Amino acid sequence: MKPNKLKEGLRQVLTAALTIVIALAIGAILVQISGNDPLEAYQALFQGAFGSKQRISEVFVKMIPLTIMALGTSIAFRAQLWNIGGDGQFIMGAIAGIIPGLYFNLPSILLFPVSILFAMAGGALWSGLAAWLKVRFNANEVITTLMLNYIATFFLAFLVYGPMIDPLGGDFPQTPNIAEGYRLFLFSDKLRIHAGLFVGIAVVAVMLFFWRTSLGFQIGLVGQGKKVATYSGVSVKKTILITMLLSGALTGLAGWNEVYGVQYRLLEGVASGYGNIAVVIALLGSLNPVGIVISAFFFSALLVGGATMQRMTDVPYAIVDIVQGLVIVFIIARTAFHWGGLKRILKRRGQNA
Amino acid sequence: MSRNKAVFRRGPLAPVGQVTLAAASGEGENAAMENIVVHMQGITKIFNGIRANDRVDFYLQAGSIHGLLGENGAGKTTLMNVLYGLYQQEEGTVSIRGTEEKISSPIKAISLGIGMVHQHFMLARPLSVVENVMLGRKSRRGILLDTKETAAELSALSDKYKMNIDPYAKIWQLSVGEQQRVEILTAIYQGAEILILDEPTAVLTPQEAEVLFGMLREMKQDGKSIILITHKLEEIISIVDEVTILRDGRLIGSQAVGPEMTKEELTRMMVGRDVLFDFPGPQQEAGEVKVRADMLCAVNDKGLPALTDLSFTIRENEILGLAGVDGNGQRELCEVMTGLRPLCGGRYEIGGEDLTNQTPAVYIRKGIAHIPEDRHTTGLALGWSLKKNLVLKNFKKPPFSKHGLLNRKALDEYWEKARSEYQIKAGSGDDQARALSGGNQQKVILARELDQKPTVVIANQPTRGLDIGASEYVRGRLLEARNQGAAVLLVSADLEEIRQLSDRIAVLYDGRLMGILPRGADPHEIGMLMMGKEKEELPNEAE
Repeated sequence: MKPNKLKEGLRQVLTAALTIVIALAIGAILVQISGNDPLEAYQALFQGAFGSKQRISEVFVKMIPLTIMALGTSIAFRAQLWNIGGDGQFIMGAIAGIIPGLYFNLPSILLFPVSILFAMAGGALWSGLAAWLKVRFNANEVITTLMLNYIATFFLAFLVYGPMIDPLGGDFPQTPNIAEGYRLFLFSDKLRIHAGLFVGIAVVAVMLFFWRTSLGFQIGLVGQGKKVATYSGVSVKKTILITMLLSGALTGLAGWNEVYGVQYRLLEGVASGYGNIAVVIALLGSLNPVGIVISAFFFSALLVGGATMQRMTDVPYAIVDIVQGLVIVFIIARTAFHWGGLKRILKRRGQNA
Repeated sequence: MSRNKAVFRRGPLAPVGQVTLAAASGEGENAAMENIVVHMQGITKIFNGIRANDRVDFYLQAGSIHGLLGENGAGKTTLMNVLYGLYQQEEGTVSIRGTEEKISSPIKAISLGIGMVHQHFMLARPLSVVENVMLGRKSRRGILLDTKETAAELSALSDKYKMNIDPYAKIWQLSVGEQQRVEILTAIYQGAEILILDEPTAVLTPQEAEVLFGMLREMKQDGKSIILITHKLEEIISIVDEVTILRDGRLIGSQAVGPEMTKEELTRMMVGRDVLFDFPGPQQEAGEVKVRADMLCAVNDKGLPALTDLSFTIRENEILGLAGVDGNGQRELCEVMTGLRPLCGGRYEIGGEDLTNQTPAVYIRKGIAHIPEDRHTTGLALGWSLKKNLVLKNFKKPPFSKHGLLNRKALDEYWEKARSEYQIKAGSGDDQARALSGGNQQKVILARELDQKPTVVIANQPTRGLDIGASEYVRGRLLEARNQGAAVLLVSADLEEIRQLSDRIAVLYDGRLMGILPRGADPHEIGMLMMGKEKEELPNEAE
């Protein structure tokens, strides 16, 4: 039994690693074509991600929300619900989460649980809306979650230009900062890495546990097919609602983390496209919590290092986007990988051994 | 076993047929070899360390129909997939018309004149017949499609073998039997002289099977050579010239099929032991009425009436057989009785309690076991482990779950128990359900459904697609459930199965109950009801 699982894990790690290597290799070719030295570019990228304490800290600052969001996304994906509305749920979580911080005047010991609840409810509201549309009208969640992203984005713009704008900030489209006592504490005053790290670790721990619960079983069963789930006595509609609410709640929590740990205020680009990257991370990590942590680390390093690479060399940041896009393409093609080439290679190796 | 050896001779160099032929014609081995179009020698194919084929020899004579017989998992399909280039063998050689060939892909196989029709059709449903044939072929008109020419040629071929296929019909409009003919037509059109058919009759009605056999005989007349993979003995005896029997991946032997060959003899060689063809009757008298259906009505997926005013009862300790041609409301009835489809009229009671239109969970709680028609999409989560599949219906209950957390140890223990009790052949409980053979998949479902001591069992086509050994096993388990007090509804398209097992036989036609007959009713009488003739209309001789 054990070797089987180990082999399965090894296979997943191998495919993921291969995906990344091929994406980076193609990226290298493009760098070469653009007239730069790929080795130098990747060196700069690596330096940019791990070259100093600050940079490593930045990698983790990015990694926290990405991990939480990707885990949230993975819940929906396991039920074959293609929730790609991460950005919208993140924004709604951030909006709902900042309200207690700006307007409620709570003691900080109360503020944290209250604002976390608000943020999770905000994210869940947005994903729940898509779930309700699916259950009630059979609306495809890919379309609804994607469209709800736009509504959330423009709703956020409306708020930061209008009712929530910082009265002392001139015409700058952002809310006032939350009080200093409300911010997540920093590990060092020189680094941006903050106590949200513990929230991230807690979420990973819970998710490792989650797939061993009967609720996790139920969600996975719906992912195996509506027919078999209904046959087994599971209410598919109810499960879809629960799954999407959980998925959105986690994504909302990532929004809370960004507000209370990094930005301290709302501004227009608060989601910075995390939603799309979270989808890639979830898929690259095979929807498995450990895999997600590893791929979140990789992508955070890529994002942070890419910015430095652009500054230090002539290679544009777009290379990072290209690598990201290639990973998506390879993941989609991975089904073929699994059952075709790689499987055969592994099998041959198994026979020789 | 010793008997088998007496009947069959084996050995890589001298297949029995070859020897017989040589002896009969008196022209020696060379002449015999010329007549052999396919010669596979010492084929070994290994999957995950398991020998699916172990040094198997196979030959096919020109212009003959050769049956490849064996239980599910005996390695028949594997051997043919090697011939068709889908798998590469680890050992052994394949010769086509006397030349050794390395068949590395189906394209190579097709170029050698080998065609294969799989059990699951490989057709693009939204496209027409001619479009499907043209897929993957180069057009003779350059960048323009040669649809018209191809269609005309297909029509001619179709007429030749009386296939009655319209080249412009869309695949989704065709019946299963017609789709199969399209597959055969495609293979022949591509120039197949050697045709491999994988369990072609598994999806056909007896009438359609007769039509197919007629076509095969005609093709044989034309000099085509046909390999028929099957586990149905009647087919071997009725149409095949020679038979090769595999068991557990090994060759048992090959020989000509003559009139002296009996079903029992074939079975023994195929299974390796005698098989029960008769089952004992009830041990106890039927008890109280357990299931009462009163004027049930339901519609099918298209919203058309599927069940009309259906009334019947099933007692404890009783099997009610439901006979009927497929698609006359059997599936809808089973779904209605397990909460998977709403009733639009009537009343449904279990144990005196009104359970009309409840959710599936309620019926599961009331102890209704359901062996669904479709193992792959309904009965099993194919991508999941066997362990998980065993607890699909009770994963929330102790001991499998405690405080909302799954108990892995309980799952492991339950799997071990089910595996030994239901003789499930699998590598480990962590294997995916899709990795199992049909018979073993069905055993997993049986283990899950029958282990909880159900009060009612609804079994829809429980032995469809299973080989003799597995079917016998499933039937035995159903009888056991009945003897333990369950009320059993057995839906089957196999009249023999219905007659063997049922205490009473109900006949369904067009969503209506045509009548309920006693145990051992005359098959002719059942057949008339199955065709929709009312009982009164039956001619006198039938009674």
